[in-house]
Amino acid sequence: MLNYVASRVVQTAFVLLVISFIAFLLVANIGDPLAALLSADATVTERAELVARLGLDQPLLARFLHFLGNLLQGDFGLSYRTQDPVSQLILERMPATIELAFVSLLITIAVGVPAGIYCGVNPNSYFGRFIMLISTAGITLPNFVVGLLLIAVFSVQLGLLPSFGRGDVVQIGFWSTGLLSVSGWRAILLPAATLSTFQVAFIIRMLRTQLMEVGQSEHIRFARARGLSEARIWYVYAIKNTLLPVITMLGLQLGNIIAFSVVTENVFAWPGLGSLFLQSIQAADIPVIAIYLIFVGVVFMVINLVVELLYPVVDARVLRRQS
Amino acid sequence: MTTPLLDVRDLTVTINRDGRPITALDKVSFSVNPGEVLGVVGESGAGKSITGAAIIDLLVPPLKRTGGTISLNGDRLDQLSPKEMRRVRGGKIGFIFQDPMTSLNPVITIGRQLCDAIETHLRLGGNETKRRALDWIARVGLPNPDVQFKRYPHQLSGGMRQRIVIALALCANPSLVIADEPTTALDVSVQAHILQLMRDLHRESEVSMMLITHDLGVIAKMADRVAVLYAGRVAEISPVAELFANPSHPYTRGLIRATPMPTADGGVQLDQIPGAMPGLGAVPPGCAFNPRCSRAQSDCRSVVPPLVTQESSAFSCFHPLERDVA
Amino acid sequence: MTSVVNTPSAVRPRRSRLSKLFHAVCYAPGATVCAIVILLMFVYAFVTPLFSQNPFEFAGMSVLDSFIPPMWMEEGMSDFPLGTDDQGRNLLTAMAYGMRTSIVVGILSVVIGLVLGGGLGLIAGFVGGKVDAFIMRVADVQLAYPALLLAMIIDGAARAALGAERNVTTAITIVVLSIGIAFWVQYARTIRSSVMIERDQDYVSAARITGRSNLSIIALHILPNVMAPVLVIATINLGIAIITEATLSFLGIGIPVTTPSLGTLIRNGNNFLQSGEWWISVWPCLVLVLFVVSVNILGDHLRDVYNPRLRGRS
Repeated sequence: MLNYVASRVVQTAFVLLVISFIAFLLVANIGDPLAALLSADATVTERAELVARLGLDQPLLARFLHFLGNLLQGDFGLSYRTQDPVSQLILERMPATIELAFVSLLITIAVGVPAGIYCGVNPNSYFGRFIMLISTAGITLPNFVVGLLLIAVFSVQLGLLPSFGRGDVVQIGFWSTGLLSVSGWRAILLPAATLSTFQVAFIIRMLRTQLMEVGQSEHIRFARARGLSEARIWYVYAIKNTLLPVITMLGLQLGNIIAFSVVTENVFAWPGLGSLFLQSIQAADIPVIAIYLIFVGVVFMVINLVVELLYPVVDARVLRRQS
Repeated sequence: MTTPLLDVRDLTVTINRDGRPITALDKVSFSVNPGEVLGVVGESGAGKSITGAAIIDLLVPPLKRTGGTISLNGDRLDQLSPKEMRRVRGGKIGFIFQDPMTSLNPVITIGRQLCDAIETHLRLGGNETKRRALDWIARVGLPNPDVQFKRYPHQLSGGMRQRIVIALALCANPSLVIADEPTTALDVSVQAHILQLMRDLHRESEVSMMLITHDLGVIAKMADRVAVLYAGRVAEISPVAELFANPSHPYTRGLIRATPMPTADGGVQLDQIPGAMPGLGAVPPGCAFNPRCSRAQSDCRSVVPPLVTQESSAFSCFHPLERDVA
Repeated sequence: MTSVVNTPSAVRPRRSRLSKLFHAVCYAPGATVCAIVILLMFVYAFVTPLFSQNPFEFAGMSVLDSFIPPMWMEEGMSDFPLGTDDQGRNLLTAMAYGMRTSIVVGILSVVIGLVLGGGLGLIAGFVGGKVDAFIMRVADVQLAYPALLLAMIIDGAARAALGAERNVTTAITIVVLSIGIAFWVQYARTIRSSVMIERDQDYVSAARITGRSNLSIIALHILPNVMAPVLVIATINLGIAIITEATLSFLGIGIPVTTPSLGTLIRNGNNFLQSGEWWISVWPCLVLVLFVVSVNILGDHLRDVYNPRLRGRS
């Protein structure tokens, strides 16, 4: 077990190293930090100082190691666009994105899981088919179209919910939260619903397929042959078997969710990491893009690693396969 | 004549293929007496497992029971509501599945699965349920019940799992156990142990048993009476000794001869039945066995022979084999 | 020889695929409707521009005609069946131009992904060993990033690299390339695994023994056999590519606003959604959804017809 954990951690670290190198190459080769950071009337000495300070006179590998060292110390470089440290920009924007992802996860669990179980247990019922139809739409519709439609209906036509911003935020240390005010919750509903559309649709389809598959398995037939109640068979015996693949699949969808958060944040003018990333692309702000690239890689890899290491908790069979 | 525990009359199961109903089980009749082991034997596809599943209404669609009556102790099982049927399953009729690798839930502990089955039918309360579960783990011959109780199926070997499957089928004290090829998926060395266990449990609890198998060797060891199925119909039902000594149906004789058995001079005799059993929907008119039968005559090709009772046995053949007067 | 059983697949006649396609369309009404919708939209997108001027270039467009609602609403005009936008452009015409751009960008980026992924997949499958391992590792790393995000990053990097030399043509080229590159992995994996299966078939060994070069073996024997699954993926990816283009353009990092595409039209319309002129953004949204859903359903159907084993993969 320990060996397994170690080898997975090393693998993840290696992939992250590769990603960091690609990000470093972006920073090193694209864009001109001197032009971006120096004023037009800078003297030659000022220029040379900056070159030395940024380590631009060093060989590539040394610069990469320097870049890595800085990363590990939390020094992510300076934004070309705002001249602020990238770490500060990210820290400012992160709470908004995490709260958005959190609420959309809540919606996913509250809506997607019951609907998916219903469809898996009653695949041929009219309501089950109706849910499937909706979820097919949810998977196909582009994220920004969903957002626009929600705005058109709930903000413009019905005037129920705000269509942009975070509402009133409360500052707790470095963390600014919108979840402590009514207007904050009102503001987060539409973007979180938009972001969760894909997850909800996805988890419904996954649960349905998995439950239908498990429902036909021999051990469920045997459970029936023992006279267990249908409720126990579906909600304990069958569901437990679907947890692992569903968690895995949801973990693998995390990347998509990050991508969609960029779109969603743009549609709803949500001041999170996605908006920051988009502004950086529009301004060709390479340091921020590079750090975002690494950031997404880290989040994706680490969550996948955690999901994988949690397997044995959910399903003890995995342990044996590993050893 | 004793009243049978299980009485199956004209059981018919059809499968709907492209809107056309195909008969999978054609008016199968047999009974199981209290305390008796009835062997059900036949080639794969003869309808043995379908018979077992039909009795407790566990057919996998598109298979569907379309006719006949099933009575257990005089109660009609074929007319029960799904809820009443659930009480029969496990509670009055236990079912032993074939493959222990797939028939135990992989993510629920042995103990939990046992307790759930006991609790569902006996309603004993937590401690007593657990005590019974531990007791059953011991009775099917697993060491350290306390340890096994907390284990998952994948932590057990195939033979141990099959013992648990047997415990699960018996733990709510059913009066009949249907065992569907209980040893087929096991290693040969393990098969003997499992058969011995089933014999011991049968003797201890006097539970009746319907033993479905394709293996005449298993039949010879275990069964009191034997029903031979061919292409979804009953070919012959006889006490086991008589069946082996004096088969009436030509198919039964063919089946016995096709089983490798040592002869008196130490060699092994093996005769194949020519041809193959007709598949679903391809059963010829008349006796299903007629294309492969050396005794077939014109009546065999046009009329389905009825099941005739003669002394202790019954067979469906117009031209049965003569009894050896030994 | 171990693969005797597989040889029938080697001599599978190619015509059967055509007749399969025929069957696919004739016996599945849903898919047929989708095919007809796609055909009509192609006609709409490519024929309308033949006898109307591009509303994005037409100097004479009248701001007086701006914000006219669809014809069945009050103040609607029959000259503008679906209404006009803020610049007085006829939405019916503007969307034809927008769709034309979207379809062309979508097809081009699918072709780029296909050529890139197909080439790398062929190399990986045929050469094997370290080359194969390297290409597939790169694919694995790339899979950590969703295609949409990757397209954004490539787009951003390209913008930064090109600096001020951007114009409409390079902007569209960047979009096509970034979507194409973001989607190569799927083709590479499919083609690689097909090649690895076909590579060991008897007929390929036979071709090799008779002295054929690797290139001619690929062209004559392997490509025809991997065509079906690849075309299915390409169909499905066309839908995704068009969504990706629309998303990038909507976010303002794809096609420049001066060129009509479904994404830029929606982006423009989004500015007026709050003030009640819903039609400017809703029509292009509906057209986009209709087209993409049709392509997806048709793609799914083709997948089931050609290769039921692929079912369930995305």
